[in-house]
Amino acid sequence: MRNASQRLEEFFFPPEPDTWLRILRTGVALQVIIYCLSLRADWHGLFSLDRAGLIKRDLAEAMLSAQSHYIPRLGWLVDFASRFGVGEQTALTLTWWGLLSAAFMLLIGLFSREAAIATLFLHLCAVKSTSGLTYGVDNFTSIGLFYLMIAPLPDRWAADSWLRNRSRKDNHLQGFHRRILQLHLCLIYFFSGITKCAGAGWWNGTSIWNALIRPPFNLLSPETLIAWKHLFPILSISVCLLETAYPFFIWLRKTRVLWLVAVMTMHLAIGLAMGLYLFALVMITLNIAAFGAEFSFITTETNATRKVAASTSRFDRAAIDGTGYL
Amino acid sequence: MTVCLRDTFSIFATTPTVFPAKANKFWLGGEQVAATLIGQRLDDSNWLRNGITAYLHGSGIEAGYGFFAPNVPANYKLVFELRYPDGRSEYEIPRVSSAATGLRFAGLLDQLAEVSFTPLRETMMKILAYSVWQEHPDANIIRAYFGRARLPTPAEFERGDKGAYDLLFAYDFTFRGRPPNTP
Repeated sequence: MRNASQRLEEFFFPPEPDTWLRILRTGVALQVIIYCLSLRADWHGLFSLDRAGLIKRDLAEAMLSAQSHYIPRLGWLVDFASRFGVGEQTALTLTWWGLLSAAFMLLIGLFSREAAIATLFLHLCAVKSTSGLTYGVDNFTSIGLFYLMIAPLPDRWAADSWLRNRSRKDNHLQGFHRRILQLHLCLIYFFSGITKCAGAGWWNGTSIWNALIRPPFNLLSPETLIAWKHLFPILSISVCLLETAYPFFIWLRKTRVLWLVAVMTMHLAIGLAMGLYLFALVMITLNIAAFGAEFSFITTETNATRKVAASTSRFDRAAIDGTGYL
Repeated sequence: MTVCLRDTFSIFATTPTVFPAKANKFWLGGEQVAATLIGQRLDDSNWLRNGITAYLHGSGIEAGYGFFAPNVPANYKLVFELRYPDGRSEYEIPRVSSAATGLRFAGLLDQLAEVSFTPLRETMMKILAYSVWQEHPDANIIRAYFGRARLPTPAEFERGDKGAYDLLFAYDFTFRGRPPNTP
């Protein structure tokens, strides 16, 4: 029993450097900055009740209230601003600038925690007030921001570390947060894969074909795609296997790099072939942060940090002789 | 995990899958158990339900991850017919300023197709029609056509079949006066 509890502790609190956190922080911040810039032209049209726009936020917010009154929305900010005589248009402009500024501060790591909270809140306000116009990328951005909000910030590359002398957090705490992100990604891919496996179209290749010729994802013409029709069944079965088996093969040391590269290639291909660039960016960021930090650009430093962490660890033996999980 | 299970069971129960239809009862039961665990069967005004829902939305985990699964959704189209008092009519499609918004709009059309509560669907269509009227304030009637474009299979495409367009529903909206903030 004691052994099991110790193993559980070792599993959930492995000593980890903060490389993963830097990757998550910069990647997700960049994601939000691009989100802001990509919607700049439509921002008022999407959210304003006064101006001509595609869809009004009041319907989305009414539907949101039916689910819960506590979900953040832009209406809160507009109402708050109106108490000070600030009009809707100005409030929306300020929100846009606020989100962009918060994301930029998160990118450089200045007031990291406050920036993460502000970015998550403002991003949630925006996406929840246009719930009809959201897709998976917004959920994954929220997931990334939520992890940042609760993560042991700042990491050593954040401006907070060298401008404000904020000390780095316990390596076991880093390991715990990263472990949760890893488990979450495993759940995401497993359930995504298993639902695909249930569709006949994913076994004969028609789902890949349909996804690629369906507007607005049809960046490649059907005339070009048809030449590759024999590849569709192989590609779609590969996607099913890659996602469903992700929790198993990403966990094994021997197959981790292979699986990570394959999954990132899949996301890159989706991004380029279907125009889902932001979706590709956020998924690649989450994957590298969760499982790829060891293979990133500062391998030497990571290993050194790992040794220091191991020597002070309560789990010395597990970390040094490689019986640890990572 | 519970949200993933709820959505996966729901997808299996309501969409065509490789599983036999008689398994639907099991999937529905699973969905209800999962929904109960996350408080969704509590009263709408229940604080626990509201709190759990807010947490799920705040952390980005309120939905499952069945993207393009088990089947890629059909391609939906929305076209507006603008009718003027002098008898003229013209056609308009929803316009956005950037490709990023265009991607998002495709998701909205998917959601419109899934809305089974007719008054909500009509309200959503009315809001979209209203946005078109703001751009064309002289029009007095706007008819919104919502349809599904059937995508051809590779074999059909090779035979020259480019798919077909099926009308799902249409609404007429009458507007009077001038929209606010127009000269």
